Amino acid sequence: MDDLGFILLSYAAAFGGAAALVWQVLRRGRALGAELPDEDKPWI
Amino acid sequence: MNRNEGSAPVATTHTPSTASAPAMTSRPRGAGTGTTFTRWLGIVTLASMAAVALFGLVLSPEDVVQGESVRILYVHVGTVWVAYLAFVVTAVSSAAYLWRRTHSLTWDRIAGASAEIGVLFMAVTLLTGSLWGRLSWGTFWVWDARVTTTAFLFITYVGYLAVRGLGGSHEQRARRSAVVALLAVIEIPLVHFSVKLWRSVHQDASVAGRTTDVTLDGLMLFTLLLATVAFTLLYVWYVLHRQRVMTMEDALDDKGLDLALAERRREAATNGVSNGAPSATGEVTN
Repeated sequence: MDDLGFILLSYAAAFGGAAALVWQVLRRGRALGAELPDEDKPWI
Repeated sequence: MNRNEGSAPVATTHTPSTASAPAMTSRPRGAGTGTTFTRWLGIVTLASMAAVALFGLVLSPEDVVQGESVRILYVHVGTVWVAYLAFVVTAVSSAAYLWRRTHSLTWDRIAGASAEIGVLFMAVTLLTGSLWGRLSWGTFWVWDARVTTTAFLFITYVGYLAVRGLGGSHEQRARRSAVVALLAVIEIPLVHFSVKLWRSVHQDASVAGRTTDVTLDGLMLFTLLLATVAFTLLYVWYVLHRQRVMTMEDALDDKGLDLALAERRREAATNGVSNGAPSATGEVTN
């Protein structure tokens, strides 16, 4: 299938970009969560 | 007089492992930005994204005209929908911030979080559109009305994020970025209607269009709707987490500022004492 590379690259960009964003926000959240007391986290 | 006996609170650093840490570490702390709701939302989002990959790449049929390349449609439309949604939410949140009755930095953080994922998905839209264009039009890029205005919209929101990154207080950041967001959102109707306003090689709305009569295969339509829902769930999950991260970043900034002010007062008090000037407590010590 000639189109396979283009199709897979499209899905890799969408899913890979989303995964990178998710990983970055979770990592940042954990790092900051360890530095701050719970009273600075209204969602808890 | 001991240097640390001034009236101002003394803290030499805001690193939690040093002097000020015991008071902070004695309290139990949550791990991060997650709640029961966001965890369940994350699981549902992950499952729906896996389903998109399965239906988009394997189960949905190929198109009679475009062949296999139609599979790009599912991520292309899903991501551009989220980008539009994100930019509109950014504008609405910015307006809510500027409006006196709903004035809160939470709106500013929602606006910023929403714009971030909007910019990412707009970049993905441009990339997938370019790849799809190579297969459909024979070229990666054309200076077409829809494609060009979309690229311009992307650049505008990159600029919005740059404005958010400028210095100043949280209120200054919120006010100036809210104004930019309200100006930037005007571009969205221009992008959307560009295919009607100018001659364009990009197709018009073919599923949700009022005047179109397209019979889409049931499984293709289901996959398209599934992708739209999955990317929307991801958007909601991200904005919830990211605005909480921003809340913590702002809180840490405020604490850092408080500690820097305390340090400055301590230095001023110390210098005053060593120069024979009255200290903060009114004592004169040589």
